[in-house]
Amino acid sequence: MSLATAWSIGLVGMRGVPVEVEAAIGGGLPRTVLVGLPDAALYEARDRCRAAVACVGLKWPEQLVTINLTPATLPKAGSHYDLAIAGAVLGASKQAEVSGLAGSALLGELGLDGRVREVRGILPAVLAAQQAGLRRAIVPWEQVGEAGLVAGIDIVGVGTLSDLVKVLRGDRVELDPGDATPAPAESGQPKDLQDVAGQVDAKWALEVAAAGRHHIYLHGPPGAGKTLLAERLPSILPELEPAAAIEVAAIRSLAGHNLANGLTLLPPFSNPHHSASVASLVGGGARMALPGAISLAHRGVLFLDEAPEFSPRALEALRVPLESGQVTLTRSTAQVTYPARFQLVLAANPCPCGMSTTVGAACKCAPMAIRRYAERLSGPILDRVDISQHLRPLRKAYLRVTPAESSAQVADRVRAARDRQARRFEGYPWSANGEVPGGHLRRHLTPPDSTDLLDRAVARGQLSARGVDKVLRIAWTIADLAGRDRPGKSDVHTALMLRQGQDLGVVA
Amino acid sequence: MDRQLVGVQGEELAAQYLEGLGWQIVARRWRCAAGEIDLVAVEPADPPVTVFCEVKCRTGLGYGSPLEAITVAKMAKLRELAVRWLREHRPRSDVRFDGIGVLLRSGWSPLITHVRGIS
Repeated sequence: MSLATAWSIGLVGMRGVPVEVEAAIGGGLPRTVLVGLPDAALYEARDRCRAAVACVGLKWPEQLVTINLTPATLPKAGSHYDLAIAGAVLGASKQAEVSGLAGSALLGELGLDGRVREVRGILPAVLAAQQAGLRRAIVPWEQVGEAGLVAGIDIVGVGTLSDLVKVLRGDRVELDPGDATPAPAESGQPKDLQDVAGQVDAKWALEVAAAGRHHIYLHGPPGAGKTLLAERLPSILPELEPAAAIEVAAIRSLAGHNLANGLTLLPPFSNPHHSASVASLVGGGARMALPGAISLAHRGVLFLDEAPEFSPRALEALRVPLESGQVTLTRSTAQVTYPARFQLVLAANPCPCGMSTTVGAACKCAPMAIRRYAERLSGPILDRVDISQHLRPLRKAYLRVTPAESSAQVADRVRAARDRQARRFEGYPWSANGEVPGGHLRRHLTPPDSTDLLDRAVARGQLSARGVDKVLRIAWTIADLAGRDRPGKSDVHTALMLRQGQDLGVVA
Repeated sequence: MDRQLVGVQGEELAAQYLEGLGWQIVARRWRCAAGEIDLVAVEPADPPVTVFCEVKCRTGLGYGSPLEAITVAKMAKLRELAVRWLREHRPRSDVRFDGIGVLLRSGWSPLITHVRGIS
């Protein structure tokens, strides 16, 4: 009976757990068994590893091979244990150096020809390996760049199973650079706010939204520029902090995105089509739930274009993540939590034909149809949105106006406002006005002389208790943008107008 | 080479090997209505052990090692046959099942793999 142990990482959502892969040889008829709660894809690892080992000229033991994955209670899924399984079996059969296995996390799927293939979730797995105190991670050659984002752990790339044997022996692996296919660069020109003509007030609302991380609802007739504006929001947002960028990259890695280009500091932008299912938005999957669009928008923007066309179930599923900044998905085998601190941008037409709010245009919709269309966005969702901005169709004059401000100019102001907020919230877990909890807002940040305006709005039933908090948050952001130390009466008034959108006439 | 001949040759080699270990061959190709046991041997011990052997012989490794051919179904069959044999002979001994693989590659000397206690 001979035994060897290799290490891999099991992922439960974003959390990685070191998994010990033991291989014991001997004690029965030649066959290979895999124990320790593997799922179907993992059980197939047995056959993949066997073929791969034979294909690179090594020998699979002709005895009883028992492979055990511990902790046995953790449900294990996926194909990335292949490399650890092959490593442990080769170690146990004395074809690879057992000492090389100690302290190394092995991650990668094996092809039948012995090639080491890319897998999902390398970044969170290597992060977990580093936190667990492993000193080396052996990963697929193509993903060395992604794994290298984690500091404090040695990364070794392998292209084939023979490379693994060499690495375990302590040799250097010379990889043909032609093996690694560089990922195509992120396509397309960066979208600039300069491209949008007119809509000065909407642009300003967008600037406020960016400066305070407020959710924003853009509504107006077709062609007014709702989508254009929303798509340009990331261009005026400040770059991600390194820690946040790692978090964002980890989610992208789990979702199977290619991270070979390194860390992107651009805030993510996720714009699911309105046919999206609940599972695709919040995350889902049968045994172990994968991150959905809202988690891919974590620390970035979730843009729901044509929001009323989304299924009501999908929209209502956003309520809890909007408040808590995370989503917990429970399946029979495991409960996983993904971060989902996104900035929501909704865009909608006012009615099916889109013309009902446009002066001088003929709306073809029956009053009931307009009402029903508006009701598709439920009150609870709209109440969670801070800023409501109506867009009007462009007048001809706007097209002749001198070029608009570029994204860079706006981004400078946004960054300055964010810096003020960061100083104010130093030592707290939140960093922007839009994320400040109501309690803290009312205790420490209330502007003294302006509550009568809000009181009146509440008394008229135009503002909910949550709405008061939202107005105060926006007021602080406006003050931050203007460089004032605290919001004055006019800031609260402006904030109230931004919050109420088209109903502003009633408020004043 | 004829397939049956390979089997006979393998069983012969296995029997010789077991006798070399000092075991006593009790039956060869014992037949009953349910089938056939390749070898029944007694291992000298205290108490002695009656060993039912499944012998597999192959002439190459193209289809895997000989012992891999012993499937779950074959094991079940062997157990059933063993019960019949024990009912008939009633030996005073322990019982065990072994697998013996014989590899007969031309130009090589026969290679015997013996795995004890396979059930």
